Amino acid sequence: MPAGRRAPAAQSARRPPPPLPLLLLCVLGAPRAGSGADTAVISPQDPTLLIGSSLQATCSVHGDPPGATAEGLYWTLNGRRLPRELSRVLNASTLALALANLNGSRQQSGDNLVCHARDGSILAGSCLYVGLPPEKPFNISCWSKNMKDLTCRWTPGAQGETFLHTNYSLKYKLRWYGQDNTCEEYHTVGPHSCHIPKDLALFTPYEIWVEATNRLGSARSDVLTLDILDVVTTDPPPDVHVSRVGGLEDQLSVRWVSPPALKDFLFQAKYQIRYRVEDSVDWKVVDDVSNQTSCRLAGLKPGTVYFVQVRCNPFGIYGSKKAGIWSEWSHPTAASTPRSERPGPGGGACEPRGGEPSSGPVRRELKQFLGWLKKHAYCSNLSFRLYDQWRAWMQKSHKTRNQHRTSGSCPRADAARREVLPDKL
Amino acid sequence: MSRREGSLEDPQTDSSISSLPHLEAKIHQTHSLARLLTKYAEQLLQEYVQHQGDPFGLPGFSPPRLPVAGLSAPAPGHAGLPAPERLRLDAAALAALPPLLDVVRRRQAELNPRAPRLLRRLEDAARQARALGAAVEAVLAALGAETRGPRPEPAAAAAAAAAAGVFLAKVLGLRVCGLYRDWVSRTEADLGQLVPGCPA
Repeated sequence: MPAGRRAPAAQSARRPPPPLPLLLLCVLGAPRAGSGADTAVISPQDPTLLIGSSLQATCSVHGDPPGATAEGLYWTLNGRRLPRELSRVLNASTLALALANLNGSRQQSGDNLVCHARDGSILAGSCLYVGLPPEKPFNISCWSKNMKDLTCRWTPGAQGETFLHTNYSLKYKLRWYGQDNTCEEYHTVGPHSCHIPKDLALFTPYEIWVEATNRLGSARSDVLTLDILDVVTTDPPPDVHVSRVGGLEDQLSVRWVSPPALKDFLFQAKYQIRYRVEDSVDWKVVDDVSNQTSCRLAGLKPGTVYFVQVRCNPFGIYGSKKAGIWSEWSHPTAASTPRSERPGPGGGACEPRGGEPSSGPVRRELKQFLGWLKKHAYCSNLSFRLYDQWRAWMQKSHKTRNQHRTSGSCPRADAARREVLPDKL
Repeated sequence: MSRREGSLEDPQTDSSISSLPHLEAKIHQTHSLARLLTKYAEQLLQEYVQHQGDPFGLPGFSPPRLPVAGLSAPAPGHAGLPAPERLRLDAAALAALPPLLDVVRRRQAELNPRAPRLLRRLEDAARQARALGAAVEAVLAALGAETRGPRPEPAAAAAAAAAAGVFLAKVLGLRVCGLYRDWVSRTEADLGQLVPGCPA
């Protein structure tokens, strides 16, 4: 027998098998119907054992001879004949078996230990349950969709491999009062998850834990305490539209709508945008789009199809100080930048800065713009369209080739500009 | 249609039977159902042995053919009986199967809780056996034959439900699934003999 994991001590826990209601059955009889054949019984029946422990079993044959003797009997385990040296005849009607260093059960319904007559017919069987007690579940994480429900996920201890069916039960209660409740909807987002669909209180902490139980014992996770408002997530922003910005070949405009379920609460919502070139797997992420529902991506390649997604973090709901939980990404939306004859610039990003429009590349660009204005602006009615015309002119004049185009416009910069240059968008 | 025993042209058929086209349609439909369920029954057997572990499902595996209360396999002489008698036996067996399949399902829910497809197939099998049994009884009624023979009551049949070990429960479950397959297959064959154009 291949070696299994060592156990501190051999244990054999025998559980009484549950009865079979309604199903009349006879004592395990002979393989040949109608013959006055032998019967036998294996002891112990359906034992539960720790991995690495030993088992002493017997097969006792009843009934009349001939043939009903221990001589010639043999054992199989999961269909494989066991070496003769593991067996010994105890008496005329009993064959014993000694198994050492047992491996974990091959299937959850139990390993099939079978006693055979000389001709191979099955005389009796017993199912072995060899495994480990559960270890403490850990890493419980929970989230609430729009404050209406709670879904929790956890990691089973010992990577979950106990070789025995292990039952996990998610329990929860209000911290200051109330009784223990048990979650009932399991496996909603993976094998170790549970969903509580309703009747959850806000502004009061819950205690949540997981209990794991199998034939060899039980274990309980640490308690997680949380307020529903601190773990809120929402749906991805709907109606994401991506469109060109006039003839600008390195820009795309992204617009979306606040997730409707929390629309009235998303005062401090954060958004994130990610985008990639059509045939690439590398996403570029625009962080902290803040509480905007539009953004302009700049520094893109001309004549290129981009996929864009947006997600929302509804942090700050009802004054929660916690970070909030990002929604799933919206469905990808695609758009292409206008084609140019020149090779376009490298990838850029919409980087809305928190009141820092003067940093880095934007500052250089703005300085050039103002320089150009002094030279070309002959009226006081400045407009954002002029700015776009300037950008188009810059591209055509090849003067952007040596510029580091790692950023473009951003909503806050746009807003700053729009104060000076009325928005024509 | 040939004048086989039990054919629709049997002059001894009661004159109060349903109209011939309606009866033929009913037989045809029930035969198609039985054919479909025979396929499902084979799939159930395969799924079942897979989850019990070896030696279940190994070639040459020959467990004891344990008797099951209220139901036995089709007798060797079954095919030689008159059609109404065959269908009556089919209907009786199909009526006896659902509670047995339910017991197997409940036990498998304890032994193989992470085998939802097996549990679903067992649940479906019980429902399908009921449906096929009812359809066969409808055919019998349309033939003007007596529909119900003596049927064991579940409570009376469960004379001594012994506390069964797990291995024995696995073997019994296999037996019940095998009986289900045998009887839907038998029903398909019996109805096939009544379908015009089907070979005897």
